[in-house]
Amino acid sequence: MKNYSMKKTSMKKFAEKVFSAKKRTVIAAGLVCLILLLLSSWYAVNFNDARLVVPMDFSEYTFTVKDLPMTCSVTLICLYIFYLIALILWTAVRNQKYVRETQTTRKISPRFGFLGFFGFMGFMGFWTYSQNKSISPFMFFMFFGFFGFFYEGKLSNTFMDERFKENALKAQVTSLKISFSIIIAAFMILSRGALFGNLEYNLLAAMVVVFLALALALFLYEYLLYRYDHDEPLEKED
Amino acid sequence: MPDFECQLKKYRQFKNITQEQLALQVGVRRETIMRLEKAQYNPSLKLAVDISRAVDAPIEEIFIFPEEQ
Repeated sequence: MKNYSMKKTSMKKFAEKVFSAKKRTVIAAGLVCLILLLLSSWYAVNFNDARLVVPMDFSEYTFTVKDLPMTCSVTLICLYIFYLIALILWTAVRNQKYVRETQTTRKISPRFGFLGFFGFMGFMGFWTYSQNKSISPFMFFMFFGFFGFFYEGKLSNTFMDERFKENALKAQVTSLKISFSIIIAAFMILSRGALFGNLEYNLLAAMVVVFLALALALFLYEYLLYRYDHDEPLEKED
Repeated sequence: MPDFECQLKKYRQFKNITQEQLALQVGVRRETIMRLEKAQYNPSLKLAVDISRAVDAPIEEIFIFPEEQ
Protein backbone atom coordinates (compact mmCIF):
# COMPACT_ATOMS: atom_id res chain seq x y z
CA MET A 1 0.00 0.00 0.00
CA LYS A 2 2.82 2.37 1.00
CA ASN A 3 4.76 1.44 -2.14
CA TYR A 4 1.69 2.09 -4.25
CA SER A 5 1.13 5.58 -2.78
CA MET A 6 4.84 6.41 -3.16
CA LYS A 7 4.71 5.27 -6.79
CA LYS A 8 1.58 7.36 -7.32
CA THR A 9 3.24 10.47 -5.80
CA SER A 10 6.37 10.07 -7.91
CA MET A 11 4.21 9.58 -11.02
CA LYS A 12 2.31 12.76 -10.13
CA LYS A 13 5.57 14.67 -9.65
CA PHE A 14 6.85 13.35 -12.98
CA ALA A 15 3.60 14.39 -14.74
CA GLU A 16 3.83 17.87 -13.17
CA LYS A 17 7.46 18.15 -14.30
CA VAL A 18 6.56 17.13 -17.88
CA PHE A 19 3.61 19.54 -17.87
CA SER A 20 5.67 22.52 -16.66
CA ALA A 21 8.43 21.67 -19.19
CA LYS A 22 5.81 21.54 -21.95
CA LYS A 23 4.33 24.85 -20.77
CA ARG A 24 7.75 26.47 -20.90
CA THR A 25 8.32 25.10 -24.44
CA VAL A 26 4.95 26.42 -25.65
CA ILE A 27 5.61 29.90 -24.20
CA ALA A 28 9.15 29.94 -25.63
CA ALA A 29 7.86 28.90 -29.09
CA GLY A 30 5.29 31.72 -28.95
CA LEU A 31 7.96 34.25 -28.03
CA VAL A 32 10.24 33.03 -30.86
CA CYS A 33 7.36 33.36 -33.35
CA LEU A 34 6.63 36.89 -32.09
CA ILE A 35 10.28 37.97 -32.29
CA LEU A 36 10.57 36.55 -35.82
CA LEU A 37 7.43 38.45 -36.84
CA LEU A 38 8.80 41.70 -35.39
CA LEU A 39 12.16 41.18 -37.12
CA SER A 40 10.58 40.37 -40.47
CA SER A 41 8.26 43.39 -40.14
CA TRP A 42 11.28 45.59 -39.41
CA TYR A 43 13.06 44.09 -42.48
CA ALA A 44 9.98 44.60 -44.69
CA VAL A 45 9.55 48.22 -43.55
CA ASN A 46 13.23 49.11 -44.06
CA PHE A 47 14.20 47.05 -47.10
CA ASN A 48 11.00 45.92 -48.87
CA ASP A 49 8.79 49.06 -49.08
CA ALA A 50 6.69 47.72 -46.15
CA ARG A 51 5.22 45.02 -48.40
CA LEU A 52 2.91 42.63 -46.51
CA VAL A 53 3.02 45.01 -43.54
CA VAL A 54 0.77 47.75 -44.83
CA PRO A 55 -2.60 46.73 -46.39
CA MET A 56 -2.08 45.83 -50.08
CA ASP A 57 -4.06 44.60 -53.08
CA PHE A 58 -3.41 40.86 -53.26
CA SER A 59 -5.02 40.51 -56.71
CA GLU A 60 -1.85 42.04 -58.19
CA TYR A 61 0.56 40.36 -55.80
CA THR A 62 3.70 38.79 -57.25
CA PHE A 63 6.17 36.95 -55.06
CA THR A 64 9.69 38.36 -54.60
CA VAL A 65 12.55 36.86 -52.60
CA LYS A 66 12.42 39.82 -50.21
CA ASP A 67 8.91 38.74 -49.16
CA LEU A 68 10.31 35.48 -47.85
CA PRO A 69 11.05 36.55 -44.20
CA MET A 70 7.57 38.04 -43.77
CA THR A 71 5.86 35.05 -45.43
CA CYS A 72 7.78 32.60 -43.24
CA SER A 73 7.08 34.43 -39.98
CA VAL A 74 3.36 34.83 -40.75
CA THR A 75 3.19 31.11 -41.64
CA LEU A 76 4.94 30.28 -38.35
CA ILE A 77 2.51 32.44 -36.36
CA CYS A 78 -0.45 30.76 -38.10
CA LEU A 79 0.98 27.30 -37.34
CA TYR A 80 1.54 28.32 -33.73
CA ILE A 81 -2.07 29.50 -33.39
CA PHE A 82 -3.32 26.23 -34.92
CA TYR A 83 -1.13 24.33 -32.46
CA LEU A 84 -2.54 26.34 -29.53
CA ILE A 85 -6.12 25.62 -30.66
CA ALA A 86 -5.30 21.90 -31.00
CA LEU A 87 -3.69 21.95 -27.54
CA ILE A 88 -6.74 23.59 -25.95
CA LEU A 89 -9.09 21.08 -27.61
CA TRP A 90 -6.88 18.17 -26.59
CA THR A 91 -6.75 19.41 -22.98
CA ALA A 92 -10.55 19.79 -22.93
CA VAL A 93 -11.01 16.22 -24.24
CA ARG A 94 -8.47 14.89 -21.72
CA ASN A 95 -10.24 16.72 -18.87
CA GLN A 96 -13.61 15.31 -19.91
CA LYS A 97 -12.13 11.82 -19.98
CA TYR A 98 -10.62 12.38 -16.53
CA VAL A 99 -13.99 13.55 -15.14
CA ARG A 100 -15.75 10.53 -16.68
CA GLU A 101 -13.23 7.99 -15.45
CA THR A 102 -12.63 9.30 -11.93
CA GLN A 103 -16.11 10.73 -11.28
CA THR A 104 -14.49 13.85 -9.88
CA THR A 105 -15.03 17.45 -10.90
CA ARG A 106 -12.54 18.97 -13.30
CA LYS A 107 -9.34 20.45 -11.93
CA ILE A 108 -9.54 24.19 -12.24
CA SER A 109 -7.92 27.09 -10.42
CA PRO A 110 -10.22 29.63 -8.68
CA ARG A 111 -7.97 32.30 -10.21
CA PHE A 112 -9.82 31.80 -13.51
CA GLY A 113 -12.60 33.73 -11.76
CA PHE A 114 -10.68 36.92 -12.53
CA LEU A 115 -11.77 36.42 -16.16
CA GLY A 116 -15.10 37.74 -14.94
CA PHE A 117 -13.64 41.25 -14.87
CA PHE A 118 -13.66 41.15 -18.68
CA GLY A 119 -17.41 41.50 -18.30
CA PHE A 120 -16.89 45.22 -17.66
CA MET A 121 -15.69 45.49 -21.26
CA GLY A 122 -19.35 45.04 -22.19
CA PHE A 123 -19.92 48.68 -21.17
CA MET A 124 -17.71 49.61 -24.14
CA GLY A 125 -20.73 48.70 -26.27
CA PHE A 126 -22.51 51.92 -25.24
CA TRP A 127 -19.56 53.93 -26.50
CA THR A 128 -19.02 51.95 -29.74
CA TYR A 129 -22.76 52.13 -30.46
CA SER A 130 -22.71 55.90 -30.16
CA GLN A 131 -19.56 56.12 -32.30
CA ASN A 132 -20.13 53.67 -35.16
CA LYS A 133 -23.28 51.71 -34.28
CA SER A 134 -21.18 48.67 -33.41
CA ILE A 135 -22.87 46.50 -30.78
CA SER A 136 -20.57 43.48 -30.62
CA PRO A 137 -18.79 44.58 -27.36
CA PHE A 138 -22.07 43.95 -25.50
CA MET A 139 -21.19 40.28 -25.86
CA PHE A 140 -18.52 40.78 -23.20
CA PHE A 141 -21.28 41.05 -20.58
CA MET A 142 -21.38 37.25 -20.71
CA PHE A 143 -17.88 37.20 -19.20
CA PHE A 144 -19.45 38.21 -15.86
CA GLY A 145 -20.49 34.56 -15.68
CA PHE A 146 -16.84 33.57 -15.37
CA PHE A 147 -16.85 34.90 -11.80
CA GLY A 148 -18.35 31.46 -11.17
CA PHE A 149 -14.88 29.97 -11.63
CA PHE A 150 -14.11 31.23 -8.09
CA TYR A 151 -16.62 28.69 -6.80
CA GLU A 152 -15.90 25.99 -9.37
CA GLY A 153 -12.24 26.20 -8.38
CA LYS A 154 -13.19 25.66 -4.76
CA LEU A 155 -15.03 22.49 -5.76
CA SER A 156 -12.19 21.41 -8.05
CA ASN A 157 -11.31 17.69 -8.01
CA THR A 158 -14.27 16.81 -5.77
CA PHE A 159 -15.70 13.32 -5.91
CA MET A 160 -19.17 13.48 -7.47
CA ASP A 161 -21.34 11.18 -5.39
CA GLU A 162 -25.11 11.00 -5.67
CA ARG A 163 -25.66 13.93 -3.29
CA PHE A 164 -23.29 16.12 -5.30
CA LYS A 165 -25.07 15.20 -8.55
CA GLU A 166 -28.43 15.94 -6.95
CA ASN A 167 -27.15 19.33 -5.76
CA ALA A 168 -25.77 20.05 -9.24
CA LEU A 169 -29.17 19.38 -10.80
CA LYS A 170 -30.89 21.54 -8.18
CA ALA A 171 -28.42 24.37 -8.75
CA GLN A 172 -28.83 24.13 -12.52
CA VAL A 173 -32.62 24.22 -12.37
CA THR A 174 -32.65 27.16 -9.94
CA SER A 175 -30.13 29.20 -11.91
CA LEU A 176 -31.93 28.60 -15.22
CA LYS A 177 -35.30 29.41 -13.62
CA ILE A 178 -34.01 32.73 -12.26
CA SER A 179 -32.32 33.79 -15.49
CA PHE A 180 -35.32 32.81 -17.65
CA SER A 181 -37.63 34.71 -15.28
CA ILE A 182 -35.46 37.80 -15.70
CA ILE A 183 -35.51 37.44 -19.50
CA ILE A 184 -39.28 36.97 -19.58
CA ALA A 185 -39.89 39.92 -17.23
CA ALA A 186 -37.56 42.16 -19.26
CA PHE A 187 -39.18 41.16 -22.54
CA MET A 188 -42.64 41.80 -21.12
CA ILE A 189 -41.59 45.30 -20.09
CA LEU A 190 -39.75 45.98 -23.35
CA SER A 191 -42.64 44.74 -25.49
CA ARG A 192 -44.87 47.48 -24.07
CA GLY A 193 -43.36 50.07 -26.37
CA ALA A 194 -40.37 51.94 -27.66
CA LEU A 195 -37.70 52.72 -25.06
CA PHE A 196 -36.95 56.49 -24.93
CA GLY A 197 -39.06 56.75 -28.09
CA ASN A 198 -36.62 54.63 -30.08
CA LEU A 199 -37.35 51.04 -31.11
CA GLU A 200 -33.65 50.38 -31.71
CA TYR A 201 -32.97 50.97 -28.01
CA ASN A 202 -35.48 48.20 -27.27
CA LEU A 203 -33.42 45.77 -29.28
CA LEU A 204 -30.22 46.87 -27.53
CA ALA A 205 -31.80 46.58 -24.09
CA ALA A 206 -33.13 43.11 -24.96
CA MET A 207 -29.69 42.01 -26.10
CA VAL A 208 -27.99 43.35 -22.98
CA VAL A 209 -30.59 41.66 -20.76
CA VAL A 210 -30.08 38.31 -22.53
CA PHE A 211 -26.29 38.48 -22.17
CA LEU A 212 -26.52 39.50 -18.50
CA ALA A 213 -29.09 36.80 -17.78
CA LEU A 214 -26.85 34.17 -19.40
CA ALA A 215 -23.91 35.41 -17.33
CA LEU A 216 -26.09 35.21 -14.22
CA ALA A 217 -27.09 31.63 -15.08
CA LEU A 218 -23.43 30.64 -15.48
CA PHE A 219 -22.43 32.29 -12.20
CA LEU A 220 -25.45 31.21 -10.17
CA TYR A 221 -25.00 27.55 -11.11
CA GLU A 222 -21.49 27.45 -9.65
CA TYR A 223 -22.39 29.63 -6.67
CA LEU A 224 -25.49 27.64 -5.71
CA LEU A 225 -23.72 24.32 -6.16
CA TYR A 226 -21.01 25.53 -3.78
CA ARG A 227 -23.60 26.79 -1.30
CA TYR A 228 -25.60 23.55 -1.39
CA ASP A 229 -22.44 21.52 -0.95
CA HIS A 230 -21.08 23.67 1.87
CA ASP A 231 -24.30 24.65 3.64
CA GLU A 232 -22.84 23.29 6.85
CA PRO A 233 -19.21 22.97 7.93
CA LEU A 234 -17.83 19.46 8.05
CA GLU A 235 -17.87 18.14 11.59
CA LYS A 236 -14.90 16.49 13.18
CA GLU A 237 -14.93 12.70 12.94
CA ASP A 238 -16.15 11.10 16.15
CA MET B 1 -35.74 18.50 4.87
CA PRO B 2 -36.52 14.73 4.75
CA ASP B 3 -38.85 13.67 7.58
CA PHE B 4 -37.36 10.45 8.81
CA GLU B 5 -35.24 9.24 11.64
CA CYS B 6 -31.81 7.88 10.90
CA GLN B 7 -30.14 5.35 13.15
CA LEU B 8 -27.04 5.06 11.01
CA LYS B 9 -24.71 6.60 13.60
CA LYS B 10 -25.73 3.99 16.17
CA TYR B 11 -25.18 1.05 13.80
CA ARG B 12 -21.96 2.50 12.45
CA GLN B 13 -20.52 2.95 15.93
CA PHE B 14 -21.69 -0.54 16.80
CA LYS B 15 -19.70 -1.87 13.82
CA ASN B 16 -16.79 0.32 14.95
CA ILE B 17 -16.24 2.05 11.61
CA THR B 18 -15.63 5.72 10.97
CA GLN B 19 -17.66 7.96 8.67
CA GLU B 20 -14.69 8.06 6.29
CA GLN B 21 -14.45 4.25 6.13
CA LEU B 22 -18.17 3.87 5.58
CA ALA B 23 -18.10 6.56 2.88
CA LEU B 24 -15.30 4.70 1.09
CA GLN B 25 -17.16 1.42 1.38
CA VAL B 26 -20.40 2.72 -0.15
CA GLY B 27 -18.76 5.09 -2.66
CA VAL B 28 -19.83 8.49 -1.37
CA ARG B 29 -18.16 11.42 0.37
CA ARG B 30 -17.91 11.78 4.14
CA GLU B 31 -20.15 14.84 3.96
CA THR B 32 -22.94 12.67 2.58
CA ILE B 33 -22.63 10.19 5.47
CA MET B 34 -22.61 13.10 7.92
CA ARG B 35 -25.82 14.51 6.47
CA LEU B 36 -27.39 11.07 6.35
CA GLU B 37 -26.74 10.58 10.05
CA LYS B 38 -28.44 13.90 10.75
CA ALA B 39 -31.37 12.83 8.55
CA GLN B 40 -30.73 15.84 6.34
CA TYR B 41 -30.38 13.86 3.15
CA ASN B 42 -32.74 11.35 1.60
CA PRO B 43 -30.55 8.66 0.00
CA SER B 44 -31.27 6.70 -3.15
CA LEU B 45 -32.46 3.13 -2.77
CA LYS B 46 -29.08 1.84 -3.93
CA LEU B 47 -27.19 3.89 -1.35
CA ALA B 48 -29.59 2.84 1.40
CA VAL B 49 -29.11 -0.83 0.48
CA ASP B 50 -25.33 -0.42 0.30
CA ILE B 51 -25.31 1.22 3.74
CA SER B 52 -27.50 -1.46 5.27
CA ARG B 53 -25.13 -4.12 3.92
CA ALA B 54 -22.08 -2.20 5.16
CA VAL B 55 -23.37 -1.92 8.72
CA ASP B 56 -25.12 -5.31 8.72
CA ALA B 57 -28.49 -3.92 9.69
CA PRO B 58 -31.92 -4.03 8.04
CA ILE B 59 -32.68 -0.97 5.96
CA GLU B 60 -35.96 -0.25 7.80
CA GLU B 61 -34.15 -0.12 11.11
CA ILE B 62 -31.59 2.37 9.86
CA PHE B 63 -34.06 4.69 8.15
CA ILE B 64 -37.27 4.97 10.12
CA PHE B 65 -40.14 6.71 8.37
CA PRO B 66 -43.14 7.56 10.58
CA GLU B 67 -46.29 5.77 9.49
CA GLU B 68 -48.87 8.02 7.86
CA GLN B 69 -52.17 8.43 9.68
